[in-house]
Amino acid sequence: MAKKALFVKAKELKTDVAVIKDLEVSIGRIFDETWTEPVGPTPFPSITDLREWDFKLLQRYKPMYMPFCDLCCLCTFGKCDLTKDKRGACGLNMAGQQSRIVLIACCIGAATHLGHARHMVDHLIEKFGRRYPLDVGGVNVQLEAPITRLVCGVRPRTLGDLEDVVDYLEDQVTHLLSATHTGQEGSNLDFESKVFHAGMVDHVALEVADIAQIAAYNFPKADPEAPLVELGYGTIETHKPVIMVVGHNVISSVGIIDYLKENDLYADVEVTGLCCTAHDTTRYSSRAKIVGPISWQLRFIRSGIPDVIVLDEQCIRADTLVEAQKIKAPVIVTSDKNCQGLQNRTKDPADEIVADLVNGKVPGVLILDSEKAGEVASRTALEIAPKRKKFKVIPTVKEIIEAAKKCKLCNDCIRACPEGLLIPEAMREAAAGNLQLLVDLYETCIGCARCESACPNDFPIHSFIVAAAEKILKGEKFKIQAGRGAIQDVEIRNVGSPIVLGEIPGVVAFVGCANYPHGGIEVAEMCKEFADRRFIVVLSGCSAMSAAMYKDEEGKTLYEKYPGDFDAGGIVNVGSCVANAHIAGAAIKIANIFAKRNLRANYEEIADYIHNRVGAVGVAWGAMSQKAAAIAAGCWRLGIPVIVGPHGSKYRRMLLGRKDHEEDWYVYDARTGDRVYVGPVPEHLFYTAETKEEAMVIIAKLCMRANDTSKGRAIKLTHYIDLHKRLYGTMPDDIHLFVRTVTDIPITMKDEILDILKKKGWKEGRIPDPTLLPRLIRKMKE
Amino acid sequence: MSMFEGIPVEVGVIYEGERIRRKDMYVELGGPEQETKFELVRAKGLDEVEDEKITVIGPDIKDVKEGSSIPLGIYVEVAGKDVEEELEGVIERRIHEYCNFIEGLMHLNQRYDIWLRLNKKSFQKGLNSFNYIGKVLTKLYKSELPFIEKIQITFITDPDKVRGMWKEALSIYEARDAKARGMKDEEVDAFYGCTLCQSFAPTHVCVITPQRYSNCGSISWFDGRASARVDPKGPVFAIEKGEMIDTEKGEYSGVNEVVKKKSLGAVNRVWLYTGFGYPHTSCGCFEAVAFYIPEVDGFGIVDRGFKDVTVNGLPFSTLADSTAGGRQIDGFHGISVEYMRSPKFLQVDGGWNRIVWMPSSVKERVKDFIPKEVVDKIATENDSKTVDELRAFLKDHEHPVVQQWKEVPVEAAPEVEEALAASTIPLSTTAIAAGGFKIILKNAKIHAEKLIIKREKAKR
Repeated sequence: MAKKALFVKAKELKTDVAVIKDLEVSIGRIFDETWTEPVGPTPFPSITDLREWDFKLLQRYKPMYMPFCDLCCLCTFGKCDLTKDKRGACGLNMAGQQSRIVLIACCIGAATHLGHARHMVDHLIEKFGRRYPLDVGGVNVQLEAPITRLVCGVRPRTLGDLEDVVDYLEDQVTHLLSATHTGQEGSNLDFESKVFHAGMVDHVALEVADIAQIAAYNFPKADPEAPLVELGYGTIETHKPVIMVVGHNVISSVGIIDYLKENDLYADVEVTGLCCTAHDTTRYSSRAKIVGPISWQLRFIRSGIPDVIVLDEQCIRADTLVEAQKIKAPVIVTSDKNCQGLQNRTKDPADEIVADLVNGKVPGVLILDSEKAGEVASRTALEIAPKRKKFKVIPTVKEIIEAAKKCKLCNDCIRACPEGLLIPEAMREAAAGNLQLLVDLYETCIGCARCESACPNDFPIHSFIVAAAEKILKGEKFKIQAGRGAIQDVEIRNVGSPIVLGEIPGVVAFVGCANYPHGGIEVAEMCKEFADRRFIVVLSGCSAMSAAMYKDEEGKTLYEKYPGDFDAGGIVNVGSCVANAHIAGAAIKIANIFAKRNLRANYEEIADYIHNRVGAVGVAWGAMSQKAAAIAAGCWRLGIPVIVGPHGSKYRRMLLGRKDHEEDWYVYDARTGDRVYVGPVPEHLFYTAETKEEAMVIIAKLCMRANDTSKGRAIKLTHYIDLHKRLYGTMPDDIHLFVRTVTDIPITMKDEILDILKKKGWKEGRIPDPTLLPRLIRKMKE
Repeated sequence: MSMFEGIPVEVGVIYEGERIRRKDMYVELGGPEQETKFELVRAKGLDEVEDEKITVIGPDIKDVKEGSSIPLGIYVEVAGKDVEEELEGVIERRIHEYCNFIEGLMHLNQRYDIWLRLNKKSFQKGLNSFNYIGKVLTKLYKSELPFIEKIQITFITDPDKVRGMWKEALSIYEARDAKARGMKDEEVDAFYGCTLCQSFAPTHVCVITPQRYSNCGSISWFDGRASARVDPKGPVFAIEKGEMIDTEKGEYSGVNEVVKKKSLGAVNRVWLYTGFGYPHTSCGCFEAVAFYIPEVDGFGIVDRGFKDVTVNGLPFSTLADSTAGGRQIDGFHGISVEYMRSPKFLQVDGGWNRIVWMPSSVKERVKDFIPKEVVDKIATENDSKTVDELRAFLKDHEHPVVQQWKEVPVEAAPEVEEALAASTIPLSTTAIAAGGFKIILKNAKIHAEKLIIKREKAKR
């Protein structure tokens, strides 16, 4: 891979034999073709290059729209009512509009990761130079950027190589977004194909951002034994000045840690964070601490513990400045994407900025220079901490009871609450002096504070909950394994055999935000269930944090109990949101490392491979953001099913297979060219589950793939049936669709299932070498 | 209707990973506290076995004190038209798998080393007799290995009886091993093929012979024989050897034919015992790679567990990548650890006399099978980290390959070709004088649309 251009200019060169004046040498593009892998059919694919593949998937998994809003209000023709097959003034129908909104959401998500990647690459190049090598795992990771290789057909070796990739991605997002303009795309299926493209672009952006930071900041490099780090409110040493970082882009936090280290102050200051920035600070320094996921933002600020709040980008509460002012903590914003109306002080001397913040002259500043931000944050924290004395806005028990007595029980809070929590009941009990119901709300509250906005009395209801549960909050002391980054090539090879032989029934990735229907404990419980069943469990982002926040009877978290290897029964934290790239990357690596399929610009074939063979399932239990939508879309194009929690239905459409439509479930047998019925595997591509129990059954089911060996299918069926029996109390009614030959039947259930098959009129099928692509049908060589 | 009607606990694959700690256990059977314990399967005549009979000799589970540890022998006698002595080992290993399916019963290890624990919960549910365990085993054996027509199982806990039978069992294991290790490819009619990995590597076919284990190290010739019998349409199948084309290389017409068919013509010839020419292909799950090191004209070996780079600077992952995916690549060869113990191991290439480097951990595992005269001449990561160091080591230790070093092969350095695809050279002033020349360039602009850097194929 190479840089865009080379330009050399010499004013005058004089040697014994030559005099050269005003010499200019320029080279348009340098192509390093020392990579011998042949280029596949779709290098740097345009927005239509993979359309046929998308349509194949969309044929099987037809979009089912669930309008979150019946109107379109995007242009001044509108509002247009699109119900009952009506079309809007521009001619677009409901399906078109819903898919268009999905595309807009995915473009926002992709643009966000991409903006992050661009910032990261530019910043690191400035600091470390274009030629800085991309080492993401030493000798154990030869395949440094599987997604980039697959999509773009290039092999990035240095930071500079990533620039071409980012250029391409930016170009794609522009085209995709332009398709959503009024009077552009009209077909919902074409919108959906573009959604998939946005998702694919998003995955490349994730990979670029994460491999750049892993290499340059020396994060754990594909390390299954990445250090255990501290997580939880209770781990923060509150007697020290505390810097709270929030967001996703670790550059400014690195500035802080570097400043503290260089000035020998790191032992005197706590650096702690929320959301993915926190993940990445612990990848940078195992001394940094994580408070918790996004939902802990308000409660941590109101606790008064942070002395300085440093914001970068993404998933940051828009009212952080307002909340920070309540506890007299200055705010430093560091991202051009999130300036919060604050004055740009980037060029001012640090002394002046620190003085203004410490004296309360300004509530916050914008500093677009990570080193300066690091210095200002550190010095401000040290100077302001003795003055602030951890000023907090958490009410006392007495105050809560007094307020509760005034509560009119109007139920506006419960209507405002996304989780429908029973706040009025808790208030009624509190009025009587019993705070237990408020305490109980703590576990399920997602910390959005919509109840407070709704309350006619302006009660700080979220603070009531947090105050009531103070003991729980202070007891939050956990260990999480720092994000390990990529999966080693050799780990992929190790699991290849047990996956082929079916001893590992699947790979389940718990990713995404913290909008959990019944609290984070459900993520932890699901992880445990599947790790105990010898699946490979992978986590990232807020889910990885939530999974750490529960201990077993011995006081151990999942990360202390289970190994961090990408192997059966492992619980693997890859890292922040951008580290999600390594999860998709692992699926891609299986195709390349284990089966030797060419990756380079060979998207369709690899997606076909993964879809038919790699039993991977993504679960975004608390999916909230547009970024989560884009990440899911990237999985869809690879044919990997994604399950979301009940809030996920608000993404407006699902991609559901129809197991009753036999014709949807045929593949080609690549060995013979025959069309073979393989059953509904995987049954859905995007599915919303209403309960944890439903999610667990569907996870087990969606791990089945067309190429499962009999042993593998038997084991997968065992888990599906066992979970179904345990959680629903019945045998599944569709077992006959998943048994191809008698040897597929789990050996301990043979009699029972043979009975069922008989009743269903089951006929023996066969196990093909499955593909959806006729061009992959192999011919006998003579 | 459930298969396990009347069994007081659940039976299922999901209990396989269950671990039972001491504080949860009701009774321990065998294990480190007992000197004598065993499990043994014997093939018997149809008239010697009373089908589904279960016998307990000595105290049953309900008769022992909670928390105690007792000796145990599990003796399984099977009969059937297709049951043969060669399959005893394969059948025996299923005891481990089947016992673990039982909720609350843990089975570790095999043969004379078995270690079982039953937890309190399952005991309380009513699993208080070997009869239940026997019934589960009987049911699973007959359902999974339908060639077993009759089966009777005896559980022995009486210490004297266990001891007596234990001694007999030890001599049977020994005889069985000796027979298996001594068994030659030439002595059997059929080999076994395995295409389990084809779901991931579509052109790979494993050929399993008495002297060549499957690459993954998990299927012996005996396992293959049993699997092929149980599921004749399954991924493990018999290969008629056909005509022996070359005994040294291990080429058989039957093998060639089957491999050609099963790989759809991608592979037409296989030489079983060499890393060159038409080597056996590699799937993706081989345990180790033998890789040729041209500088010393020998093979290095690296296994999957070795985390560092090998002596030629490449890690396992890169070397594995060179051979995986069902291809025949000269000098790169996916193998199992067990194959290293075979007398036919790379015999065409010189066998152990050609092995120059391997990780110490693997060397330790197969040490007893490396000829005495060469074992200390094979370097490990502790002896040599580079090819130069290796060359010195081999010379110092007079490794047999040194004899071959009449001419040290020279490695061709890759050349870089810089092709200017399109260039424009607008020169406003050019003066080139030949012979004692002087070049004057003014306002020189050289522009290349593209610069393509290519690597030339390394010359051998």
